[in-house]
Amino acid sequence: MKVIINIIGSIGHKSLKFIANIGNFFLFCLSAISWIFRPPWYFKKIIFQVIDIGYFSLPVVGLTTFFSGMVLALQTYNGFTEFNSESTVARVVLTSITRELGPVLTGLMVAGRIGAKMAAEIATMRVTEQIDALSTLGTRPMQYLIAPKIIASVLCLPFLVFIGNTIGILGGYTIAIFKLDFNPDLYLYATIDNLQWIDLIQGSVKAATFGLIISMVSCYFGFNASKGAEGVGYATTASVVVSSVMILTSTYVITAMFFG
Amino acid sequence: MNKNKTKKTILNVKNLKKTFGNNVILENINFNLLEGESLAIIGASGSGKSVLLKNIIGLLDPDSGSIKINSTEMVNLPRKDKENILLQLGITFQHGALFDSLRIWENIIFKVQNQQKISKVNGRKLALSIIERLSLKPEILDLFPSEISGGMQKRVAIARAICGNPKILLFDEPTSGLDPVTGSVIDKLIISAVKTIGASAITITHDMASVSRIADKVILIDNKTVSWSGTPKEMMTSNNLKIKEFIKTTNPKLFA
Repeated sequence: MKVIINIIGSIGHKSLKFIANIGNFFLFCLSAISWIFRPPWYFKKIIFQVIDIGYFSLPVVGLTTFFSGMVLALQTYNGFTEFNSESTVARVVLTSITRELGPVLTGLMVAGRIGAKMAAEIATMRVTEQIDALSTLGTRPMQYLIAPKIIASVLCLPFLVFIGNTIGILGGYTIAIFKLDFNPDLYLYATIDNLQWIDLIQGSVKAATFGLIISMVSCYFGFNASKGAEGVGYATTASVVVSSVMILTSTYVITAMFFG
Repeated sequence: MNKNKTKKTILNVKNLKKTFGNNVILENINFNLLEGESLAIIGASGSGKSVLLKNIIGLLDPDSGSIKINSTEMVNLPRKDKENILLQLGITFQHGALFDSLRIWENIIFKVQNQQKISKVNGRKLALSIIERLSLKPEILDLFPSEISGGMQKRVAIARAICGNPKILLFDEPTSGLDPVTGSVIDKLIISAVKTIGASAITITHDMASVSRIADKVILIDNKTVSWSGTPKEMMTSNNLKIKEFIKTTNPKLFA
């Protein structure tokens, strides 16, 4: 009997802790968003973050989307050959990349590269008392540390997704032309003909949302880190896992909003 | 004694209580810091010294009690007013807490630069004048904190704390993790910093030699409250069991 009570107690305790964490996360998000709109704005820090997130993420985003576009073209062709529908390859590659693969793969890559970096940086500052020092030196940590990261992430992700989409479509084109012997003009015409504004808008909305998710989650785990090096490790891992799960969940919600 | 009566109280802590959940960390904490006075707070690890410091510098809010800085009540003071008063404090943290991404000169002038926009040239000049006062080498100005030793980092942290001429300096275990020679250098820097800018000082430490060198007054935090107070001289000759035990366990050489 005592064992059962202990198990129920433990489950209850963990559930309450989980709910409290969700509450704390939303309070953190509200506070962070409110600091974005209050002066002073640290433009130098925002520009630094834009370069780090936007420019230095380009290689990894480009590589991922390029190979995904190639794989997509190959698989689609293999699947559609049975139905003699090779001409639809361009359309499938375009739609898949712009609607889903481009934003999601870019989001996941940025979560791994930038989210982990943000969480580790802020967590290290927390455990080495640098955040406490900021507060005592006339600076508000939310405004100085968190707000520039959120602004830069929300601004950069749509551009990264746009570039990622273009490179992904180029990957599909490369396979279609050089391996599947498609006519280049026909493939290009089919791609442009099937391009729809709604796909680009939806991709941008997803990208901005992912930027918000990655920066908020990473900053939250970093800001609330404890227990020295172990705490930094936990914050880094948790930020990547939670960001990735939230990206995959929110992509469904946004798709359902646009096309559901 | 008469000399102290003419001095103004710059910090007054009264009946301060702090709990974390059901765990009482501090209660009934009372002490004063006079203008130009150097106070040392001693106590075992986990006795709540750093929690007390965090309450004074506004990083934690006490459950009850009062903290007055220059006669202004800090508890429940609006955020903006609190921030303005806290600018009168200069703090060094246990591990220096220098900003990794900034150069040494940028670390030193951080507070001043936030209050008033100063050019890079003037910022470097200001940082140089401070490190010269603390006998630090000018060559370190353009380095990053990771490029200098732990002892040097603590000295830079002191330079950052005194930049802007604060009224109260707070040092959290400034000599911990340092060899006795470097510890003695840090003590001299603290004495010099306090004298140069005419500030009052609070130092949290375990090091009795350091207490004797830098403090005018000592308080012992034990069993959640201030259990003893006096001068360093009184401390060394005190028959108070808690003080004797503390000195014996933290500095056994003094009893050898």
